[in-house]
Amino acid sequence: MIRLHNVSKLYRTERMETLALQRINLDVAEGELLSIMGPSGCGKSTLLNLMGLLDAPSEGTVELAGRPVERFGDRDLARLRNEKIGFIFQSFHLVSDLKVVDNVEIPLLYRKMSHRERRRMALAALDRVGLSSRTHHFPTQLSGGQQQRVAIARAVVGRPQLLLADEPTGNLDSQMGDEIMSLLEGLNREGTTVVMVTHDPRLAERTGRVVRLFDGRQVH
Amino acid sequence: MLGSYLKVAWKVLLRRKFFTFISLFGISVTLLVLLVATALLDHIFAPEAPEVHGDRTLGVYLMTLTGPGSHRGGLPGYGFLDRYVRPMEAMPEVETVAVAGWPKIAVSYVGGRKVRSFLRRTDGAYWRILDFDFVEGRPLTAEDDREARFVAVINETTRRRFFAGQPAAGRTLEIDGQRFRVVGVVRDVSLLRIVPFADVWVPIGTARSDAYKRDFSGDFMGLLMARDRAGFPAIRSELDRRCLEAQRHIPDPQFDALYTGADTPFEAASRFFLGESFIGTRPPDVGWTLGYSRHAVWLRAVLFLAMVLFMLLPAINLVNINLSRILERSSEIGVRKAFGASSRTLVGQFVVENLVLTLLGGLAGLALAAAVLAGLNASGLIPYAHLSLNLRVFFYGLGIAAFFGLLSGVYPAWKMSRLHPAEALRGRSL
Repeated sequence: MIRLHNVSKLYRTERMETLALQRINLDVAEGELLSIMGPSGCGKSTLLNLMGLLDAPSEGTVELAGRPVERFGDRDLARLRNEKIGFIFQSFHLVSDLKVVDNVEIPLLYRKMSHRERRRMALAALDRVGLSSRTHHFPTQLSGGQQQRVAIARAVVGRPQLLLADEPTGNLDSQMGDEIMSLLEGLNREGTTVVMVTHDPRLAERTGRVVRLFDGRQVH
Repeated sequence: MLGSYLKVAWKVLLRRKFFTFISLFGISVTLLVLLVATALLDHIFAPEAPEVHGDRTLGVYLMTLTGPGSHRGGLPGYGFLDRYVRPMEAMPEVETVAVAGWPKIAVSYVGGRKVRSFLRRTDGAYWRILDFDFVEGRPLTAEDDREARFVAVINETTRRRFFAGQPAAGRTLEIDGQRFRVVGVVRDVSLLRIVPFADVWVPIGTARSDAYKRDFSGDFMGLLMARDRAGFPAIRSELDRRCLEAQRHIPDPQFDALYTGADTPFEAASRFFLGESFIGTRPPDVGWTLGYSRHAVWLRAVLFLAMVLFMLLPAINLVNINLSRILERSSEIGVRKAFGASSRTLVGQFVVENLVLTLLGGLAGLALAAAVLAGLNASGLIPYAHLSLNLRVFFYGLGIAAFFGLLSGVYPAWKMSRLHPAEALRGRSL
């Protein structure tokens, strides 16, 4: 599904350089449920961003479905993200000015699709995460767990092959975290490849493989 | 997608109401001032009734006399116009030449009440060049002027003041100590139309004294109606030649040079405000025509520059406000990029948002300008003015505002859209 070969990421500022990732080699198979663990600042989110084509590596190559993405332009990368990848963020990143259903529609805005079809798919995704009754609420009117479920609906509404979740339960209590994890497991059972960053060993145990990072290096 | 953009645009406008107010205020007040200023300029200069031949009429509005140690700038006198301008009617390019005085305030007493009116003295040709809207009677004629008949054309306001709005033709009024029989009533003409404006028009020949007939400078204007605009250069050259001839016959011995020209009202204004020839530093035999048109070009350039500078201020304001607005939306930009928006798509979204803002500001500006013009018309501040919106200028102004609005939105959006989505999600600034 996605392959990282000798990937490094260096952040430069005027005063200093920080090597966030060093020579990471990772191959995620289609249909896999994988978690990335490690202490804060070890490069987990950076790794996820590189896998999601949200950032470019300083060295090494990233391949998505067998295609190296380095030479892709802005529009091609945007299309790839739109068609193949879904994102779940720890802080949800919902657009506060838009209603729940409009938030879920965002990925579909960038596809050639009628408004009616968009709306139908968004409502189906919300139904899937158990939020049919909150479609016309604004994000600020929802609890943290509900907001994360909206974020999951938004991530899966375009039926991506790869779902990248950056500490999806980090801002939730354990019960809500379990519910979110169950949703991710369900999606994985249906064939979606899921890569999840987590601090929680209990959740990591529920994934098929755990990749551990320490100080930008892959330790397992 | 457009619907979604519009929805977000509306929400963004509501989110920061003070910023929105400042933006809308800037756009609408700019357009308001622009529209009111152009309405005034149109009202002064645009060819409209009764100056229906304004596009092919030149005027001798200004004159300067100079001599060793002497300088007099002002208006031409009847003597000069009658001797040197009126004969130009013989030119094949000229259809009619008219001479008229500038309006002067004249006092009357109606039922013990003091009434001030603007009185203008004209010849008969004046009424052939200008097409007044008569509600009663007839215009003044050449015979009226030649035979010094005490007849008058009055406007509707004067009819209301003197005759309580009743039909006035055939009745007499006393103005400035002279009694005139009313032969015609015309609709009011705005104070800002310097050629036709007056309350009462009477023949030049009815003046109390004939001393004016010898004056080279005074308080008259000459009007030269060409057969078409192509005749303007020939008319101007001929007037230049006649000025040289007139220099030898200036009655006042302290002057030995005379400067004047045949102008459109706009050129006359240009010469008045910018023209070096008007202050008597150019010899009359070199390039007068060129000088006039150059001044008009300069005045246009000055007005255009003032307009651009005036519009630049709200544009800079918009840039800053948009920058702030976009910076605080870095998370949304990151999300949209993560879910498939290309940089171009994002720029498009901000273009739509700025267009919405600009159009709203434009509509507010249009409404405000309409209200201000209606208020000006109703106030009587400018007597008999009927100022109206110039929609052409409105659309130009709106276009320029939209351009600046787009520029101000596109630039920060373009900068932000170039960030990697991960950086935008982290809320990194531009």
